[in-house]
Amino acid sequence: MNELWLKARLYYEIFGQSDLLSEYQQAYLSVINKPITSAPLMAIDLEMTGLDPQQDQIISIGIVPIEPSLMPLSIPLAKAQQIMINIDGSVGQSAAVHGIVDHHLSSALTLSQAMEWFVEKTKGHILVAHHAPMDIGFLQSHLYKTNGRAIKLPFIDTLALEKQRLLRQHDVLKEGSLRLDACRQRYGLPTYSGHDALTDALACAELFVAQVNSIGDINTLSAAEFISI
Amino acid sequence: MKDDSELQPIQQFISALVPFDSLSDSSLVRCCQQLTIGYYSKTSKVVPLDESHPQLYIVRSGAFEVRDEQGELLDRLGEGDYFGFPSLLSGEKVSNQVQILEDSLVYHLDPDTFNYLRNESRVFDRFFNRAFAKRMRHQARFKAKDLTTTNRVNSLMSVDPLTIDCHASVSDAAKKMRLARVSSVLVIDNHKLIGILTDRDLRNRVLAEGFDGNLAVHQAMTTNPKRLSANALVFEAMLLMSEHGIHHLPIMAETPIDDNTEAPAVGMLTSTDILRGQSSQPLLLIGEIERQQDIDSLINVSKQIPVLLQNLISADARAEEVGRVLTSVTDALTRRLIILNQQILGAAPMAFCWLAFGSQGRQDQAACSDQDNGLLLAHEPDEHAKGYFNALSHAVCEGLDKCGYIYCPGDIMAQNPKWRLSLDKWQRHFESWLNAPEPKALMHASIFFDMRAVYGPQNLFEQLQNHVLERTKDNDIFLAGMAGNSLVESPPLGFFRKFVLERDGSEVKGMDLKHKGVALINDIARVYALSAGITEVNTPKRIRALMDANIINRKDALNLADAHEFIAHMRLANQGEQYTSQQDVTNYLKPQQMSSLIRHQLRDAFKVVHDAQSGLRMKFMRSY
Repeated sequence: MNELWLKARLYYEIFGQSDLLSEYQQAYLSVINKPITSAPLMAIDLEMTGLDPQQDQIISIGIVPIEPSLMPLSIPLAKAQQIMINIDGSVGQSAAVHGIVDHHLSSALTLSQAMEWFVEKTKGHILVAHHAPMDIGFLQSHLYKTNGRAIKLPFIDTLALEKQRLLRQHDVLKEGSLRLDACRQRYGLPTYSGHDALTDALACAELFVAQVNSIGDINTLSAAEFISI
Repeated sequence: MKDDSELQPIQQFISALVPFDSLSDSSLVRCCQQLTIGYYSKTSKVVPLDESHPQLYIVRSGAFEVRDEQGELLDRLGEGDYFGFPSLLSGEKVSNQVQILEDSLVYHLDPDTFNYLRNESRVFDRFFNRAFAKRMRHQARFKAKDLTTTNRVNSLMSVDPLTIDCHASVSDAAKKMRLARVSSVLVIDNHKLIGILTDRDLRNRVLAEGFDGNLAVHQAMTTNPKRLSANALVFEAMLLMSEHGIHHLPIMAETPIDDNTEAPAVGMLTSTDILRGQSSQPLLLIGEIERQQDIDSLINVSKQIPVLLQNLISADARAEEVGRVLTSVTDALTRRLIILNQQILGAAPMAFCWLAFGSQGRQDQAACSDQDNGLLLAHEPDEHAKGYFNALSHAVCEGLDKCGYIYCPGDIMAQNPKWRLSLDKWQRHFESWLNAPEPKALMHASIFFDMRAVYGPQNLFEQLQNHVLERTKDNDIFLAGMAGNSLVESPPLGFFRKFVLERDGSEVKGMDLKHKGVALINDIARVYALSAGITEVNTPKRIRALMDANIINRKDALNLADAHEFIAHMRLANQGEQYTSQQDVTNYLKPQQMSSLIRHQLRDAFKVVHDAQSGLRMKFMRSY
């Protein structure tokens, strides 16, 4: 059911368009109906100057693929990458959180270079993020700035998956229980000290793999069952 | 464009692991970038090992169990452990099964990078080859330094000692000695050492007695001289010299098992040789013990014993030698107590031996040893003799207690009339254990089978020991009972998994290195030694004798001896740290105190113990 709805939304978006972004969206059509064990996925994490997609800017993007190689849902670190983006003004307040200071950004890409890089690297991959609507919102807003068009992006939200799971178990959701580290601990995953985009994307990728495994026989699950749009 | 893809948490983890810690920074970065992460859910039970794609599996979190084709547990793995390397190294098909105990995160390293790293770093290559060979070679890195005090006789002796036939004249002997510029010559009859002739003998037994140079050597020599084997410790030689007031010790090749052929003399050790090697603390302490004239001053001197132990530990002496040094001190103290008390009580009414059991018997005493001793009397005592030995044994046991060797909680002491018996009664007592090997009775009896005479005529003791060994040898029912008892405890292989799960380290009691480690090896060596009638009681010596007699194969014997030394060494080092940080001295090693390497090595050592236990079960318990 979800699968048909997703496809309809994507068709609607692409209809009559013929640019880079519609090719990008087109690529999703062939992956969303795949089993989760063979669908190409890309865990992402963004570091931003603030929380408002309209006002604030993306500082860095980390991407970590999840794909079938050695085993279903492998994470090949050779393909994990991170870029920095040149922003207008200073990184300001969020520097304290991310440990990023302005000089880190000197070797950074321009916004349009970064978006081009992102579209190329993640094409045909379903995006996975923790608290994904925030990251997706920023991507959409930045794609609008560079390409003049906002597009729908299918994504998987590890936070939402965890929330569902806890509620199914009739757990009371305590404050902080859905934070990335707290979620990872429930699956026996190690705590990472770093909080750059790459480390958090990796942390998210591992969490997702653990979540899928905890559901049961992973071979019967379709990617579409996890996707929101 | 900057590709800032250094994965800090991965590099941090990998770089702390032995042997990855030996890699250069650039190799490490390359290695981390080539990893593939996988997640193994415990609901899928088994890791699917793909033969066409061998990998090195590095456990990041979780727990696994490795079992062989028969389902026998080989290993438990946790954070920082590896599997999959045997087929990477050998290219052979995978026969072991890896079961998933906990949901686990695993890093996979591909064969190309693995081989690249093996080429880059010898340490890396050696580590996996070694692990593959399952041969525990901690020695290379943990080779204990030799102390002056733990030097062997063969490091100080002069080799190729001067010899002369017993029928030669003393004048020929004197010429030979002058030519070689030595003060003694060994007297040989038919390739056998029968005596020693020294400067002093030439003076006292030839010149002073008015004989001329034609006197035959065998008429002037000291017959049947005291001797030592080449691997004896220097201070054992010194002890022997000071006890018997002699200055020359023939040194024999290591005694062969076969009693009919005597080992040849390979060297000569004189008191001057020892002086050259400098006196050192254990020797001074033993010398001091022997000089004390009353019991109070003896107690005072014994306060140095804990300090001596700490010195030996901090000098990183081999555990085997620390045990021998400490036991020698205890022996000297015991002997001195007997002598001092005999000065009070008068001479003994009959010959007797002071027997040491358990750790003192095995010569592996460490900190906080208690007493385990008994008295062996030449024959049945009358009332007077009973009274004498009652007084003597109480005085000696009390003296030992005051010197820091606390009373035996199980009352196995010479002051207990139950353990103060005539030869005949001791023999019958052992027979009762041998003939009715109830597991429980035997459990308490096992320390008696590690016995040694600390004082008294050796031939009296041998009459008891030979009597016992004749009856234990090939005594299947008894040996099965003993073997059964030594299999009650097993090495703490499971601990390594628990260690992983309780990684915060809260409320982890630690690993009992004595009862789950060295004691198990002592038990194994004892059963084999009794089965073969071997007179040694020291565990490493028993293992060596068993290897020489082809009862345990060379590889297994070396492994077992290494494991014994390693675990005992860890126990001593741990006790040394506890002592310095003013904690209670225990046998427990806390997991926080274990480095990743030591964890690997300890686990290897415990695996050796596990294998040896399986071997023991196979050999002695098949039909029961």
